[in-house]
Amino acid sequence: MPSPPRFAQQLFKWWCKKADADDLLGDMEEYFRYNVSKKGKLRAQMIYIKQVLSLSFSYALKKRKRSASYSNFYSQNSIAMLNNYFKIALRNFSKHKLFTSLNILGLALGMSICLLALSITVSIYRSDEFHEKKDRIYQVNTYIADDSEDKTYASTFNAVGDYMEGKYPFIERSVKIKSGFRPEFIHHGNPMRFHGYFANESFFDVFSFPIISGNPSTALQEPYSMVLTESVAKKLFKNEDPIGKVLETEYGSFNVTGVMEDLKQTHFYFEILTSYSTYEQLEPNSTLNSDWENYRNNYVYLLLNPNTAKRTLTESLTQVSEQAIEFNPNRTIELQSIILEDVVPRWNVSNALGIGWDQPSLMFFMFIGLLILLPAVFNYINLSIARALKRAREIGVRKVVGAEKNQIKMQFIVETILLTFLSLVGSIFIFIEIRNEFLEMVGSASVLDTSLNFTLVSVFILFTLLVGVLAGIFPALYFSRLNPIHTLKGEITNRSGSISGMKKGLFVFQFFLSLFFIIGVSAIAKQYRYVFNNNHGFESDNVLAIPLRDIDKQVAINELKNHPDVKAVTTSSNLPGIFLSGTEEMTPNDLDTINVSQVFIGENFIENMKVKLAWGESESLSKSTQNEELVLVNEQFMRSVAVFNLQKDSLTFTLADGTKCRIVGIMEDFNFEPLSELIDPLVFRHSLEESNYALLTINSPDIKKTIDDLDDIWSSVDQKVNFEATFLNDEIETAYFFLTAQIKIFGFLSTFAISIACLGLLGMVSYTTENRTKEIAIRKIMGASSNGLYFLLTKDFIKLIVISAIIAIPFSYVFYDMVFLHFLIRYGSGLGIIEVLLSIIFLFLIGFVTIYWQTSQVANANPAGNLRYE
Amino acid sequence: MKGYLGEFEELVLLTIANLGQEAYGLAILRDINERAKRNLSIGAMHSTLTRLEEKGFITSYQGEPTKERGGRRKRYFELTSNAITSLNEMKSLRDQLWANTKVELSIK
Repeated sequence: MPSPPRFAQQLFKWWCKKADADDLLGDMEEYFRYNVSKKGKLRAQMIYIKQVLSLSFSYALKKRKRSASYSNFYSQNSIAMLNNYFKIALRNFSKHKLFTSLNILGLALGMSICLLALSITVSIYRSDEFHEKKDRIYQVNTYIADDSEDKTYASTFNAVGDYMEGKYPFIERSVKIKSGFRPEFIHHGNPMRFHGYFANESFFDVFSFPIISGNPSTALQEPYSMVLTESVAKKLFKNEDPIGKVLETEYGSFNVTGVMEDLKQTHFYFEILTSYSTYEQLEPNSTLNSDWENYRNNYVYLLLNPNTAKRTLTESLTQVSEQAIEFNPNRTIELQSIILEDVVPRWNVSNALGIGWDQPSLMFFMFIGLLILLPAVFNYINLSIARALKRAREIGVRKVVGAEKNQIKMQFIVETILLTFLSLVGSIFIFIEIRNEFLEMVGSASVLDTSLNFTLVSVFILFTLLVGVLAGIFPALYFSRLNPIHTLKGEITNRSGSISGMKKGLFVFQFFLSLFFIIGVSAIAKQYRYVFNNNHGFESDNVLAIPLRDIDKQVAINELKNHPDVKAVTTSSNLPGIFLSGTEEMTPNDLDTINVSQVFIGENFIENMKVKLAWGESESLSKSTQNEELVLVNEQFMRSVAVFNLQKDSLTFTLADGTKCRIVGIMEDFNFEPLSELIDPLVFRHSLEESNYALLTINSPDIKKTIDDLDDIWSSVDQKVNFEATFLNDEIETAYFFLTAQIKIFGFLSTFAISIACLGLLGMVSYTTENRTKEIAIRKIMGASSNGLYFLLTKDFIKLIVISAIIAIPFSYVFYDMVFLHFLIRYGSGLGIIEVLLSIIFLFLIGFVTIYWQTSQVANANPAGNLRYE
Repeated sequence: MKGYLGEFEELVLLTIANLGQEAYGLAILRDINERAKRNLSIGAMHSTLTRLEEKGFITSYQGEPTKERGGRRKRYFELTSNAITSLNEMKSLRDQLWANTKVELSIK
């Protein structure tokens, strides 16, 4: 038998509120059933809905509602009632201190990660709010589609800025920015590298970055002028006034024309700015204002006249797109504009300027936060329902006195919200503690302002309310459904102390998550060890790296070689084990090109670094002639070249700069770059001039003294050049900073997950043991041994932990070994059995200690006292 | 006697009288719709019942829940003595008027 449309029925009930409309509903339902048999289901439903409408607006219902509102039985949750809820909640908290503190601690831990994610999200969404003209500033984006790609770029063609400013009068100013300005300053002997942009002079007129000193409208006018951020100025000049000072870099010497405040709350990320005209001088051959082909790393911001409609801009961009297509006939090009405030976070945009926050990573972060929070919420739900026995009488009395279901629900939700607010206080403390640590790991997040402000606090409060309702709704529903007669008689089920299926599931999930994170930590730690124990394919122990800079290289090497502790000296342009920058093109057969990395090495590099040769020899490397350079390549190079069907014995190729090369030796593949990088085709050329580092193999009983000696030798060669020696292994270690960050993140997450899981375990164990106090006393009197009792109390939980381990192991193995570690470190060692075993043992130990702590109290108690319990 | 009895109100009261012990909302509605060939909405009918109750012509009491109504109770209506007096007055007024008519009203 079909039933009347639920929606209409619910709507009617809601509309009736407290009025007694039982008979009306009955009439309608009876008529509905009659109609179903006569006219079919659909017509019957239509009639039902019509009747609901007719009754809803009838005098009959109006009258009933009016009289119901005078009823003595009816009252809203008044202030007095709320007061009472608060009072009862606080009394309950103080009565059950263990449960309360477990819950508060768990929720605080769980919420803190979410607070972190929220604060970063809020901060990113509020980026660039401080610009005075923000409503009129647009970034020009480029959508490009051709055979090989289909992407939206945050950047645009070089020519767009000037072209549009000249052609369209509604554009007040345009800002042109080029990224990738990374000069190295030699200042007081210390080289420092800063990250910056080329930007034209309108930059400070359009954007409202606060300038500390210098003239904002001319600071970026002249070539080789430079604006520093405050912290860079402090680093370089301490307390001196930087304006007018000259800075030497490899790009030339720059005049400091301004100092601005450090960046806060913006999508830009730079430490220094130089004028756009500098770029034009550095690249005299490029014709930027007619370049409609290069669209990477070049950004245009447009400031429109006040009151210009966005449509005007869109229309003109369509015209400009057509202009661009003329230069790129095989591509679909569409220029788009995006208002400044929407530049971050974006969904999917390539080549974004600055940090380029995107929504997926924010969502992922939030997801991780929830993954930690949910177990804490589950704990709360579990523990509250488990405590039903204790609260049931109270509910019974409340119901008998006249509390309605909704009031009971309200009470529990208020109680939960109160608890979550207590947790919020705790989690804000945790949040403040971990905030800086975390932001550092995210990288360049210092631009974000995550200090507690009004918006953020309101978001936190809303979030807490949400968590409170989420955590409170299930206990509230459970308690409001209790039958008062049963509760008053004390006949609540669940007395056996067994744990229901759902709780078991939650348990397993929590421990699964903990184990998953612990295995993650140990897996990454293993990679960390592996990186330093496994050589990358060359010798890095006891190798000292010294940047050569402007010293006379040959002299320096000869002098250094004379020190007795120095076993061997060689040089190279790049440190092995560190990331290489850029590649060269080369042609094996005058037709095709492939990209190769080239490294210049000095004499004896191959011998000293113990690189293995698969074929040929390396001695003749230095015997290159004018016409032909003799080089070494790796096996990967040979594999890449093999696809071109060369003559079998062809060992010659040409580099992009025209150098003819002949291969004299082939090295076995080894990781010149960190293990996370693919092994690329590699060419070793011989050149002392191009070498940037001296690599000294040291065998010394007192390393500090040796380095001091070397410093003296260095100074005797050239006093002006700074001596700086680091061990190659230390340099390599810093190249793996990403691993350190990952270990920290996983460490954090696993600590949180384990703590929450253990809090839950503790709560459940103490609940079951408490409920079985009498049973255990009787067992003891009947002669059960302590060990037997432990086993009895522990076995259920052990079973659950074992199950979670059984699920977690294959899952973690697949995830880490096949996916995650592959991304993180390509030539790593994978996940070992020992790591997994150690993780499991660790988790089991923590679990056992938790269980033991609670059970021992009951098992060792005096049974006579316990029999009077309950 | 308070209030004036309208034509429709009279119809409802008489229907209740006809249904006797079985006079509850839906039964009244169906009876009127069938007998008087009206298409009466449930809202209008309950409103009339409510007004009649206010005027003191009917009283109501709740019956036992039944299955075909989804376990909901019926509300039964009964005529009060006021209603019976009023109906009688109406009828005698009509009878008088019919008896004294000067025009032939009967349909052949």
